[in-house]
Amino acid sequence: MIGCVIALSTVFCSACSSLGVKPWQRELLSRQDMRLDGNGLDDAIDDHVYFSKEASSGGRSFAGGGCGCN
Amino acid sequence: MQLEADTAGLRRRLIAASCALLSAATARSEETSVPEKLGRLLENWQIQSAVAYYHEDGRIQAIEPVVSAARETSDGGKIDLNFTFDSLSGSSPNGASPSRAAQTFASPSAKSFDAARHTYTVGPGRLPVDPNYSDARAAGGANWTFNLSRLTQATVGGKFSYEDDFYSATVNASIDHSFNDKNTTVSLGVSSENDFLQPIGGAPVPLSDYTLFEKGGHKSKRGEGLLLGLTQVMTRSWLTQANVSLDRFSGYLNDPYKIISVIDGTGNPVSYVYENRPDSRTRRSAYLENRVAWQRSSVALSLRYMTDTWGVRSDTAQVRLRWWNAARDQYLEPSVRWYRQSAADFYRPWIVNNEAQGPDASADSRLAAFHALTYGVKYGIKLNDRLGWFAREGTEFNLRLEYYQQTIQDGPAGPGALSGLNLYPGLKAILFQFGFSY
Amino acid sequence: MLARTTDAPLVSPLVMEERDGVFAVRFSAMAGPCELLLHTTDRASALESGAIAAGEAWRIEKKYSRYRQDSVTARINGRTGSVLLVDEETASLLDFAKQCFELSEGLFDITSGVLRRAWKFDGSDRVPDAAAVECLLPLVGFDKLYRDGTFLMIPDGMEIDFGGIGKEYAVDRAYDLLMARCPVPFLVNFGGDLRASRPLPHGPWKVAIERPDSDRSAAMMLDVEYGALATSGDSHRFLLKNGIRYGHVLDPRTGWPVQGSPRSVTVAASSCTEAGLLSTMAMLKGSQARQFLEEQQVRFWLL
Repeated sequence: MIGCVIALSTVFCSACSSLGVKPWQRELLSRQDMRLDGNGLDDAIDDHVYFSKEASSGGRSFAGGGCGCN
Repeated sequence: MQLEADTAGLRRRLIAASCALLSAATARSEETSVPEKLGRLLENWQIQSAVAYYHEDGRIQAIEPVVSAARETSDGGKIDLNFTFDSLSGSSPNGASPSRAAQTFASPSAKSFDAARHTYTVGPGRLPVDPNYSDARAAGGANWTFNLSRLTQATVGGKFSYEDDFYSATVNASIDHSFNDKNTTVSLGVSSENDFLQPIGGAPVPLSDYTLFEKGGHKSKRGEGLLLGLTQVMTRSWLTQANVSLDRFSGYLNDPYKIISVIDGTGNPVSYVYENRPDSRTRRSAYLENRVAWQRSSVALSLRYMTDTWGVRSDTAQVRLRWWNAARDQYLEPSVRWYRQSAADFYRPWIVNNEAQGPDASADSRLAAFHALTYGVKYGIKLNDRLGWFAREGTEFNLRLEYYQQTIQDGPAGPGALSGLNLYPGLKAILFQFGFSY
Repeated sequence: MLARTTDAPLVSPLVMEERDGVFAVRFSAMAGPCELLLHTTDRASALESGAIAAGEAWRIEKKYSRYRQDSVTARINGRTGSVLLVDEETASLLDFAKQCFELSEGLFDITSGVLRRAWKFDGSDRVPDAAAVECLLPLVGFDKLYRDGTFLMIPDGMEIDFGGIGKEYAVDRAYDLLMARCPVPFLVNFGGDLRASRPLPHGPWKVAIERPDSDRSAAMMLDVEYGALATSGDSHRFLLKNGIRYGHVLDPRTGWPVQGSPRSVTVAASSCTEAGLLSTMAMLKGSQARQFLEEQQVRFWLL
């Protein structure tokens, strides 16, 4: 189910070469909470917990846990 | 009259602005103390740090300090370093199932029951857990991002992790290329991981009888990953990222400490065997993230779908809402995460001793089918002027609290004596974290 | 108590000259001759004060010069499109530039440097066509910068330049450093932008302001007791086409030169930064320069 949503959205995105903003319209996007890596440390801590408690990892970044907890 | 008032206002405001500029400069030039020198040394670094405390109900607890430091390089690139340390202790499920009678187990380092430094006994009906679980880990990583051209950036990096029974080293590299006025970015990344395991007491012979203590040697595994990503600015306030990734791990993928109960037809355990998992695992996942901002808030929604050759399929959905106060110096960030996974093909909560058995079996509850929900909230406060000389705009103190619950539903019903026992108690944990960024 | 001295390296030697009880310490900085005049007989302390003034001038030049690859300005302009952390001095200069932008209703704009890509003032008749200027206009505008305290993001294609306030700021900074440690009357003069602490015992400082005409010898002599002077001029750079002289002072809102600017404006004010801004704004007002300066009730000289 979620896989379908992602597939459709990706197809949609790839057809969006005309989307976007001018360079001087990016003030909201550069706000810390809008950056894709804006939750850096929280994501790292959460990813470690989920890697050690669940069978999935990765998605946003590489899947290897690099630790012995799974 | 009006015109004179306006022009007098201009000059007055100009004088005020000049005075502000120059008095601030004078104040800075008079700083000579050590803390200010320290502040100047850290000037180009952005540092984030946090300490997380994780506590499972009746199981593991962990404390994990993390620090990361990032700095721009003069050619427009970036270096970032991170370091983590974690210390765990508590009770960890060993894979065996509850039983109507008490069960006694030996610790992983044992060579025999008599010589075992620790044995532990689990009461009737309780999920068998090793109460002496403890582990400490140190890990660190570094990444260097540099420009290949005006629109193309490359990143190379690596990380390592060290525990007394497990070492891991990973290298990764990726390239990002932007076009369409930098509104679209495509990226391609690869990673390679090598892990070395030295299980305490040695790696057990898979599916061997636990009481024979057939253990010895160390093992290794490796993984390669490929990640393809697309980031697109949709509007002034909406950003999307979609990733697909493929990774393959091969080698020793077992958990050397996990066992499986072997039961007879009446549901009583007759023996225990060490688990065995396939020696390769290929995983595919698709990930989508959207961030939308409006005046005082922003929302981040992410979805992930994963499937692998062990038969595990998972869906993840997470929503995070950040709400700033009027002065934008405090925020509240509630979040919810929903997760569901299906069981691995070889997941067996127990083995029935007279039934045909495949080459792989594991009772590790992390390979079972379950739902998990996380509720979280984070509070942050920017410290700008509150600490005077030391604070910069990025200086922030934050607190985070999360509640995580795993529920195994529809687990196979136990035969005979196992029926009526709570075989799948699931997991409840809280995470409390406080952090400081500079 | 010594104020913190800079650790910028000596860029040019300090030349000392003494005449009539006044020491002049001369050096090169900010693409021009600079001097510190002190009324003292103590040569050693005059040299030390000169070193402080020169050090501050070189520190600011090294930090903000558009021409230097290692300057903060070059670093900022080289990293457009991403959020940067700037130091506090740069942040306060940006705050000041913002206030000037607002006070001048957009005339004073440190992002207007991109217009240089269309306008090359080499005395020829190569005036850019309207389309070339038009397409640069979206890249001009201080209000397009994203600032959040010490975080700054400059959109792609834009650039900033502190040249319009750098020299006057350096004069005021050198002045403040010297005021804290120099008990004698002194005058800091960086290429015509100057500030005096107090008059000489026997009268005011006599300074020569260069006239914009080709006859360099006819300088205008001014008496300075207290305060600062700053001069803006457009005499040396222009384009001439079809009899129309295009001065190098560009209106950032239109991209075209201001009409009717005086050849040179000198303003007196209490700080060099203030004087510099008023003289720059007067030039930007073009034919309205005189009226503007009269409204500000400052002493000024137009040439």
